Amino acid sequence: MFDLLPDQLPWYVAGPALGLLIIVLFVLANQPLGASGAYVQTSGLLRRRDGITMWRVWYFVGMFVGGFLVTQVFRSGTELRSGYGALREVFPLGVVVPMVFAGAVLLGYGAGLAGGCTSGHGLCGTAQRSKASMAVTATFMTTAILTTLILRFATDGAL
Amino acid sequence: MKLNTVGLLSGVLFGGILAGANLHEYDTIHSMLRLDDPYVFLFMGSAIMVSAPVLWWLERRNTNTPFGGRLSLTQAKPEPQHIKGGALFGIGWAIAGTCPAPALVMISSGAALGLVAMPGIFLGLHLRERQALRELGVAIDARDEIRTHA
Repeated sequence: MFDLLPDQLPWYVAGPALGLLIIVLFVLANQPLGASGAYVQTSGLLRRRDGITMWRVWYFVGMFVGGFLVTQVFRSGTELRSGYGALREVFPLGVVVPMVFAGAVLLGYGAGLAGGCTSGHGLCGTAQRSKASMAVTATFMTTAILTTLILRFATDGAL
Repeated sequence: MKLNTVGLLSGVLFGGILAGANLHEYDTIHSMLRLDDPYVFLFMGSAIMVSAPVLWWLERRNTNTPFGGRLSLTQAKPEPQHIKGGALFGIGWAIAGTCPAPALVMISSGAALGLVAMPGIFLGLHLRERQALRELGVAIDARDEIRTHA
């Protein structure tokens, strides 16, 4: 709407800002910024389970709101689109939809098994110097880079 | 201020920073994993470099938090499920080109395929939760069996 922010903030602004946010949440609540935990609590609430950590549900809602404020209000705003730039150029929608869904199920299952994702282990766990989080992060970086390499060969370098 | 407000504001800021860094775009993640652009590595690395020393210092000086008692960092030892889970997460991350938090920002940025990614993540987490509960049930049954036999 307002075109106040560039298309991509420089890493040396966005990265340290995220570092400060991690510190603030520890100082206020002694908690990591884990996104998969927010999914687990939100899904529990939707299924009317007991013992839900409500602040994690509000955190889940907040991520939508923050994304909306930046992309639609602080920037000039984006049109409704499919997303997935390069992937959509290589594959038709009939391939992209099952591919994205299968990848998402796999990463959700993996995050559940590992007890966290890129935010909980990759950022906050590593920042706490947890060896388990460092092992998770090193493992997912390795398999993600290898999978990307395989996809690149499978599409003759198109992806 | 309530803890729920802290949660909401943390989410708004986290989602806003991810959107500001374009982490909700497939191309940002893809060019990192192709090792074409170090942006995401620098983004994550600088967030860790800023927070890690401060968290270490805050824990050492026994900081009290308003909502979570004394600030204490969690340091776990690596177990097999960390490696297995991490390996599957990485494969899914590369295929889906997104992870749990950026998938939500993808939806609010107007990218319709985020509506495919988000339910998939919910399903994957749910499948693991069900499996964990089953394993727990088997362990409890086994324990009860030992008790009744004893």
